[in-house]
Amino acid sequence: MTTADSQSSEQEQRREGAVGPEGWEPKIVAFVCNWCTYAGADLAGTSRLQYQPNVRIIKLPCTGRIDPVFIVRAYEGGADGVLVSGCHPGDCHYSSGNYHARRRFALFRKLMEFVGVDLDRLQFSWVSAAEGAKWVDVINDVTNRVRALGPFTEYQALSRWWKEVPDEQAIEQRA
Amino acid sequence: MSKGLQDIARELLEKGEVQVVVGWGAVKADPDRTRPILVTDPDEVGELVWNPRCVNNLAVYLTKAKSDVQALGKAAIVAKGCDVKAITGLIQEMQFSRDDLVIIGVACKGVVSDGSLWQGELTEENRDLKCRFCDVRTPRTYDHLVGEEVPPVDAEDDWKDVRELEEKTPRERWDYWQEQFERCIRCYACRQACPFCYCTRCIADKTLPRWIESGQHPRANLAWNIIRAMHLAGRCVECGECERVCPVGIPLNLLNRELAKEVAVEYGYRAGYDSEAPPPFATYREEDDQSFIR
Amino acid sequence: MEHRTLAGDGLPALIDELIKKGMRVIAPTQRNGDLAFGQVSSSAEAVLDYFLCKRSAKEIVFPRTEAILGFDRSGGEVKVEPPSMQFPETVVVGARPCDAASLPILDHIFTWDCDDELFTRRREATTVIGLTCTTADNFCFCTSVGLSPDNTAGSDILLTQLEDGQFFVEVVTDKGEKLAAELGELFREGGDESARQKAGEKARALVTRSVDVSKAKGWLDDHFDDEMWESWMTCLGCGACTFVCPTCHCFDIVDEVQGLSGHRCKNWDACTFWHFTVHASGHNPRDVQYKRYRQRILHKFRYYKDRFGVTLCTGCGRCSRHCPVGIDIAEVLETAAGSAAS
Repeated sequence: MTTADSQSSEQEQRREGAVGPEGWEPKIVAFVCNWCTYAGADLAGTSRLQYQPNVRIIKLPCTGRIDPVFIVRAYEGGADGVLVSGCHPGDCHYSSGNYHARRRFALFRKLMEFVGVDLDRLQFSWVSAAEGAKWVDVINDVTNRVRALGPFTEYQALSRWWKEVPDEQAIEQRA
Repeated sequence: MSKGLQDIARELLEKGEVQVVVGWGAVKADPDRTRPILVTDPDEVGELVWNPRCVNNLAVYLTKAKSDVQALGKAAIVAKGCDVKAITGLIQEMQFSRDDLVIIGVACKGVVSDGSLWQGELTEENRDLKCRFCDVRTPRTYDHLVGEEVPPVDAEDDWKDVRELEEKTPRERWDYWQEQFERCIRCYACRQACPFCYCTRCIADKTLPRWIESGQHPRANLAWNIIRAMHLAGRCVECGECERVCPVGIPLNLLNRELAKEVAVEYGYRAGYDSEAPPPFATYREEDDQSFIR
Repeated sequence: MEHRTLAGDGLPALIDELIKKGMRVIAPTQRNGDLAFGQVSSSAEAVLDYFLCKRSAKEIVFPRTEAILGFDRSGGEVKVEPPSMQFPETVVVGARPCDAASLPILDHIFTWDCDDELFTRRREATTVIGLTCTTADNFCFCTSVGLSPDNTAGSDILLTQLEDGQFFVEVVTDKGEKLAAELGELFREGGDESARQKAGEKARALVTRSVDVSKAKGWLDDHFDDEMWESWMTCLGCGACTFVCPTCHCFDIVDEVQGLSGHRCKNWDACTFWHFTVHASGHNPRDVQYKRYRQRILHKFRYYKDRFGVTLCTGCGRCSRHCPVGIDIAEVLETAAGSAAS
């Protein structure tokens, strides 16, 4: 979707003022519906639109199929940000999947906020099959916001539980 | 109080209207404490008690999750107003119908979960937090009522506990919950004590794929506690059993209440009041807020 | 072994001295309103004027979750990383006798058909300084399982506070002797044995609950099927009892995978869980909850005793205290013993 050269120069520009460590690039996982957003992303590609390459797309039938546990798994797997995107209201292939999803995610983001997750790391959009350009804007914006926050070190630190650092420190001290 | 309850229970069992009465009885080694008991014999109704130490929400025994209790036959349940809210929710979710059950409601001025605060009577100081804004001190539905009707508390829920935490920074909230979840031993007492956790197979027990890790480490504990709360959004009646039974004292009801507050604010809905209402997550309105979606 | 004496205000100095010597000291400590065994970095963090921690001390040698190996196949080949078998020298200060006694009981199972090195290496690295009880409640029944509030089982050193406030120091094992030698200056040689006797009697008198456990076992031996079990149908099927228990030791081995790498973990498990015995076919031999609760009782008081000659219970009463539905393990045993009598 982007050429390697233009990408690297863009990345260098973006590096200025970035929060993360040298060489770090945000990992964004996008859960998208099959009928609208995935087709919109595809349109962006066939239209040769360029956008930041930080997004990993996971296609599901409908936003109504996107369980909050998927999002938790994405963070566990090292995502720095998550985007959920589907059909505009009224356009759902299954009539109402996106309406149900909208309620569910309205709550889920409040819950994540309550446990201390910055909501720039959990974003939502409606992108139709015709909105290749909007997809590009959304991805660039999501990536920039997550880039500004830096790596999701709080969540990633949870995965280091087995290191038993106190043990190691204690052994060193004694030695 | 207990006497009136026992008379009702005896009559129901003797007439064969029900085969089992689900109620509270004293713990023998600590008579200040009570526990759920299942009375099937009219001669044993003397074991039933009702006092401010009757904290368990017995509605948990009514669902398919407790199939051996269901197998005893038609049940009468002794229920406080908050327990009746759970029963209402279960009827709303079509776990059973109102006719399948006899409700022996108890008029309640509050309960005391923390035994160390109990000095023989209910006071403003030892009363549970969940009782502060109780609007169901007399159950909203019952077949028999024990005690005189009690008016609801004359104050509305101010969500103070939730708002206090909301006002902290994201980092402070993150640290707060990490400190809490660190202790989680994944005993699932919160789930097992919850009337609404009646799934035959919980997502936390699924292994193919393994959605929520079973390890008792920070990553898995965060996942479990988030998903548990999320699965109760719009359903939880804030009875607080999860928090009471937690052997390591995680303030689980605070998570539930955050979601309950949002459901109340966004959708004008509070769980446990109307068995006919569409559950908020089984329905939608076209004009629902979507300001968070770009 | 020689007896010694520790000054009444000597405990904090003892903890600080151990820390100064570079040892990891684990003691009851307050964490977010919860008293639990944890590493302390100074004596000020230790809470030794306490009854019992909610969670037992078994976590020190048998953590809730530990990786038995790590694996990574992101490079194409599978790389396996064994766990570190290096455990720091650890001293547990202030374990109650019911917590300390769980360790030798657990030794039987963890060294039975194979040596569970993660357990045994931790155990070897751990020295326990027990502390005789000064309080008890109605769920305590240690004296019924052959222990007592001043029992030395599992302690390498046992401290008993005497009437005059000083601690009588009983050095129980070689490990204890080694530690006592390191702490030489804190201890005074000799001790008032008659005062120790008196303090022990006082402590034992605190436990008023008495159950005839051997009689109960006699009944349990031939009452696998009995109506009595059904009376505990109220069991909710959580694992609170087993997870706060100092002797429950069941674990599950699970691969926790994120992408192409992960860990093979040893996680606590509980016989009271529905999925503990469910077969791949979907059949569950313990199909209803009381059968799962029965397993817990039978394992503790019948099977373990038959296999190893010891009861899998130290009478700490935690399971009864923390049961969401007030099931009291001593009462279950009383009922069994009562049935045996009649």
